[in-house]
Amino acid sequence: MPYYFCTVSSGKSFSPSRSLWRRENVGEHDLDCALNPSPFPGLPEGVLEMRVKEGSKIRNLMGFAMARMQGEGAEQSGLRQVVFVGSGRAVTKTITCAEILKRRLGGLHQLTKVRYKSVREVWENREGGTPEVTVHRTVPAISILLSKDPLDPQEPGYQPPEAPMGLWGNPTINALLLCATRSKTRF
Amino acid sequence: MYLAQKYYSQRMKIFKVPPINSKANFLRRMSESCGAVSLSQSQSLPGVAGGSAMDMDPVEFTLRKRLPRKLPRRRNDVYVNMKTDFRAQLARCQKLLDSAGPGPREICIHGLGLAISRAINIALQLQACSQGALQLAANTSTVELVDDLEPEDPDEGETLTRTRNNSAIHIKVFYPQ
Repeated sequence: MPYYFCTVSSGKSFSPSRSLWRRENVGEHDLDCALNPSPFPGLPEGVLEMRVKEGSKIRNLMGFAMARMQGEGAEQSGLRQVVFVGSGRAVTKTITCAEILKRRLGGLHQLTKVRYKSVREVWENREGGTPEVTVHRTVPAISILLSKDPLDPQEPGYQPPEAPMGLWGNPTINALLLCATRSKTRF
Repeated sequence: MYLAQKYYSQRMKIFKVPPINSKANFLRRMSESCGAVSLSQSQSLPGVAGGSAMDMDPVEFTLRKRLPRKLPRRRNDVYVNMKTDFRAQLARCQKLLDSAGPGPREICIHGLGLAISRAINIALQLQACSQGALQLAANTSTVELVDDLEPEDPDEGETLTRTRNNSAIHIKVFYPQ
């Protein structure tokens, strides 16, 4: 079976045209899902994990997450922590979902982790003839933890809940200021 | 203002926004009205059916995306985009990291929208090349973008502005002390 290994820097080594190739619904799986279970230290097991895919509708994701978080506050069903996980093309959507949730519910502490994820895809030829091709890709993945409880501020990737109106009223400026104050370099 | 105009026109993406009375909207409104109201001869204008308060906008709009707000740029800030070659951006980040001079050796990589995944890629590649000596800290934020909607003929109407939000990521790459 032909075997391709896609390097990350030139991620276009195997980009099949969709008219000729079709990806099988084998369920490409994360090859190292057993190796790194959760990038967040000390996280309890029963935390809600929202897996954002490329075709997910933000409306559906937000409806579910908001209902769970707002449910009953600190009770069993009302959660205090939620993790958004996405990889490949869904990274932007993951960040968007997290930002929307932060905007709707204020006062959430955020922890962001990025890593590589190995994915195995199986493409089969539409017209037949050519055997299937297995492609191994490493795609960037992001995990965003949002919690009502305070987190460790020394952890890299920590972002405190936003002040209602920051210095210049812009959340981007606040994030940049956070980067600057950590490193103690002047703007 | 000349420089701002120059960058504005270079960066401009023009989209045609279909008018409200385009064919697709016409069919949709007709199907809605046919279900609600019985067909009568007196109804000549499709837009009036159903009692909806949609104004007939015969003008097409040209959509221009404005540049995002100019953010301050320190020496070790790198803004990532999709136009420049990936390897060139990676090499520039690597050079900045190696020759950061005295003081804390770190750079900050920013990406907006589609460039978020590229920014993450660059940061992870830098970490891989350093054999694990580098650490990453990622922050996310929302950036407000403004679009200008200009009508086809300039005397017809007003220029509307629409704001939308986009996601951005800021990754700090540093050597831990």
